[in-house]
Amino acid sequence: MKVLLIEDEPDLLRLMHRYLKKEGYLCEEAKTFKEGFIKINNFEYECAVIDLNLPGGDGLKLVDIMRSENTHTGIIIISARDKIEDRIKGLDMGADDYLTKPFNLSELNARIKAIMRRKTNQFDQLLNFGNLIINLDERKVVADGKVLQLTKKEYNILLYLARNKNRVVTKDSIAEHLWGDYMDNAVSFDFIYAHVKNLRKKLVENNCGEYLKTVYGIGYKFEAV
Amino acid sequence: MKKIKRLYLVFSVVAGLIGLLLIFLLFPKEYFFKASLILIIPLSCLGISFRMITRHRVRLIRKQLYQIIQTLEDFDVDEPTDVQFDDSPFPLFNELNEYLIELIDRIRSNFQANKQFTQNASHELQTPLAIIKGNAELLLQSPNIKEKEMEAIGVVLQNVNRLAKLNGALILLSKIEHSRFADNAKISFIQTIETTLKNFKDIIRIQEITIEKNYEADFVQEMSETLAETLFNNLFQNAIRYNIVENGVIFITTNTKQCIISNPGKSPKSEPINLFKRFKRESDIEESLGLGLSIVQSICEQSGLDINYTYKNNLHSLTIQRK
Repeated sequence: MKVLLIEDEPDLLRLMHRYLKKEGYLCEEAKTFKEGFIKINNFEYECAVIDLNLPGGDGLKLVDIMRSENTHTGIIIISARDKIEDRIKGLDMGADDYLTKPFNLSELNARIKAIMRRKTNQFDQLLNFGNLIINLDERKVVADGKVLQLTKKEYNILLYLARNKNRVVTKDSIAEHLWGDYMDNAVSFDFIYAHVKNLRKKLVENNCGEYLKTVYGIGYKFEAV
Repeated sequence: MKKIKRLYLVFSVVAGLIGLLLIFLLFPKEYFFKASLILIIPLSCLGISFRMITRHRVRLIRKQLYQIIQTLEDFDVDEPTDVQFDDSPFPLFNELNEYLIELIDRIRSNFQANKQFTQNASHELQTPLAIIKGNAELLLQSPNIKEKEMEAIGVVLQNVNRLAKLNGALILLSKIEHSRFADNAKISFIQTIETTLKNFKDIIRIQEITIEKNYEADFVQEMSETLAETLFNNLFQNAIRYNIVENGVIFITTNTKQCIISNPGKSPKSEPINLFKRFKRESDIEESLGLGLSIVQSICEQSGLDINYTYKNNLHSLTIQRK
């Protein structure tokens, strides 16, 4: 799968590239408006990650150009502008998602996957890990042949961890994923702990306990082949 | 004004008496009446005209003062239009106007610099923070990482996140103080409370906190929608965090005059007035930023509301009223 990353900050660009490469994406980089414009016009991408403040032009224009030419490319805007109006403007232009900096890489990864699933029909409708299957369409989790009764938050945590499988996902990143950034860590960490405890209990009861690992002091990891 | 009038009276009485005394001493008795007429008539004419002139001038001065007050009232620090004062026949007023214009210019440029800083801070700090965060996250994924190193990365991540949140909260505070929110509407507090409570649904369930609602009537206030939500988010976060561990409860009362959020909890360590100050942390909870109540107070201030904290019968209460 081809992903285009348009970001002028070289460190951030390299970072995203490295992280997404591990996910098996083929990433291409563009550092300026012009580079981005040329790549968009000459190649096809499944997904584009676009920063708004670019040397040589506004990233929103690139979103506009992409949308006027093709509709199937997934577009994620990443920006330091966090005003609601900016968000609305970006989404109105046809972007699929809007992430404010500083974001977690695991969040970016999960959002790309979610968009890809929406855009292309064949993209993992089922996350199959052997005796644990997550059905994304029905929002159902089947463990050892049995449907688990999960709360909405438990399901979201499991899905988020599964989308970032074999990676350490920090508590902070889970908190932001679940509640956005309005929740203070002091409150949210307790809840993540409580939710994960319940989730693990349900998994263990159905012989799926080995998937969910705790990384002490940092977060959690979903381990699977 | 009254004092000046009385002064006038005393002054004219004394002057009259002295005049009479002088006439009495200087002129022979038979001319007394005529002499006093000759003296008193022009004197009183002078007095009356003097009084009329002063009155006119006082009226003029008052008018110009009101003009200045009006101009200052209409002054918006964020509007680029120039402040104009009319030329005055009094040099003193012209001087005052000059100083005022100079002052306004200075306030404006300070405000603009502050605004600029806020914008720069939000943009320029977020990118490096994102890079540090991302690299730490990337390090976590290395296959052969040892426990000690993992711990160190964990600490880095924790603090970068804290920094990012702190930055975000300070930017928010500054945004509120500079009234950067334009989504004003008639806000129903009951509705806002209901929407915000949804965010805390699971948390309230897990911690087994009871919500006691007492909606006598709705409290409606013209304010920013975003800020109203931020306000209750912060209030409920506190009400949850500082609640008692068992049988926790949050009381919500609204009527047309006020809105009260209270919860039982340990008595506060510091003076109530200090609780609203920045970085005044009540808890030993490390993740607490100590900015929640400052944000709450700032929002109230900007929205024409008053907020008061009381602690009575083991109950923390925050009361919001109209100013």
